[in-house]
Amino acid sequence: MREMNFTVTSKTITDTAVLYPRGYLNNIAGESLVRECNAYIEKGIKKMVVNLGGIEFINSIGISLLLSVIERLNNCGGTLCLTNISTSYNETFEMLGLTKYMLVFKSEEEALKHLNAAGGK
Amino acid sequence: MSQELKKALYNVSSLADLSQEINSEQNFTIKIQSVLYVIMGTFLASKGAIFWHERDKGSLIPVAHKGFNEAGSPRLKISSEHLLPLLKNEPYHLGDGNKAGLYGPLRDSLRRAGAGLCIPLWVRDEFIGVIVLSDKFTSEPYSTEDFELLKAVANQIAITMSNHSLFMNLSEQLDKNRRLYEEMRLIYHDTIQAFAAAIDAKDVYTKNHSQRVARYAVAIARELGWNEDDVEGIYVAGFLHDVGKLIISTDVLNKKDSLSEKDLHELRRHPVLSSKIISKIKFPWKDVVKSIRHHHERLDGKGYPGALAGEDISDGAKILTLADSFDAMTTDRPYKGRKDLKEALVELKKCLGTQFDGRIVAAFCKVLEKEIKGKLPEPNILPHLDKDFDPSVITVLLEALIQELSA
Repeated sequence: MREMNFTVTSKTITDTAVLYPRGYLNNIAGESLVRECNAYIEKGIKKMVVNLGGIEFINSIGISLLLSVIERLNNCGGTLCLTNISTSYNETFEMLGLTKYMLVFKSEEEALKHLNAAGGK
Repeated sequence: MSQELKKALYNVSSLADLSQEINSEQNFTIKIQSVLYVIMGTFLASKGAIFWHERDKGSLIPVAHKGFNEAGSPRLKISSEHLLPLLKNEPYHLGDGNKAGLYGPLRDSLRRAGAGLCIPLWVRDEFIGVIVLSDKFTSEPYSTEDFELLKAVANQIAITMSNHSLFMNLSEQLDKNRRLYEEMRLIYHDTIQAFAAAIDAKDVYTKNHSQRVARYAVAIARELGWNEDDVEGIYVAGFLHDVGKLIISTDVLNKKDSLSEKDLHELRRHPVLSSKIISKIKFPWKDVVKSIRHHHERLDGKGYPGALAGEDISDGAKILTLADSFDAMTTDRPYKGRKDLKEALVELKKCLGTQFDGRIVAAFCKVLEKEIKGKLPEPNILPHLDKDFDPSVITVLLEALIQELSA
């Protein structure tokens, strides 16, 4: 499983960064997702959509990396939206209590619509 | 599915993640960082660190950390003295009103840095290090189940770190021994070369003869497919084959007239003298003494000192015989002038089956041909030969000889 490369691409739509991680979020290579998010935060972008449609697998390492992003955004008053996530991973996030600190949407469009409507935050 | 069952399944899969990381073939730095991420993900700690106890200095150094040293978070400082009295591989909560045995400035400093929990790592009676985690990001307290799981995790990590420590100590010792061996080897080779220089200095006509024989012998042995260890052995044998000449009278060695029976008898003592001298040395290579003792034997049994014939003569001795004779042919001697390369090859052919083994001559011809064609990056024979030969003529001669010998 760890042989599969992990990549992250991203774009910005107005004041929101949209990130597309691909591969397995189960090893240290996943730190590139955290670095990419941190780079946007340092540029002043506080709204972030992470489209998990390209993610095949998440384990405890992946959870710890997502936790880094959640904490960083929470500390600066930002918002994290996850989209295109499978039901079982959504249930895991709920069980762990992480859904209180981020928003989960079916699609990227829904997340962007919500962030636009939310305005400031 | 109930929340408890989901949580239990998550914990089981986390233990599997831990096992996968511990058993991965990644380097230790990546392995231990991955292990830390597994723990942080399992217990939802946003800060974590694993410290290594340096036994020599008694200090704790971080081998993996996340969150504690980032902006806004004070640097985590920890010393081992307060951790030693704590129970082995047991988690200690650092919050107020707990039963922790960790008091005083260390606990305060850990709390200020954002730490919520520490687990001293032990393997039997050896203190290995400590894991430090922040409180859970979700503000939930660590449960009894969490503590049980942490104990199991701590045991595994302690063993992993201890194994790595043992491995590193062994590697360091191995590196030290390797360096020592290399130094000894260089000194050994320098000594042998100095010895050879002393032999060659005694006979003005054979300057660098030992070095050339060593190089020619290496070329032939490699062409015959010998391993590098045995090649080194024949190289040393080449350098020392004439060491017995140190005992032979200089008058006999440098005599320009033909040698008398008595002189010949004296000169022919040198292979036995050489082997006697070097038999005192315990060589790490096989057959050095034997190769030297028999480097004047002939395939037809007319050589000396043992009048051995055919397969009774070792390949090492046969190689030295050829290398020694070829150098004698192509350099000036007190009793005769040198042959050019073509004449020397004709002489080799003439002595096939009587003095020289065809297999050894074929290997010599093949390696010489490769050197002439520039196929070998470090030639051993060509640099020592006169450059006045026609490469195309020699190549034709070599090819014919190789073909004849392979028929």
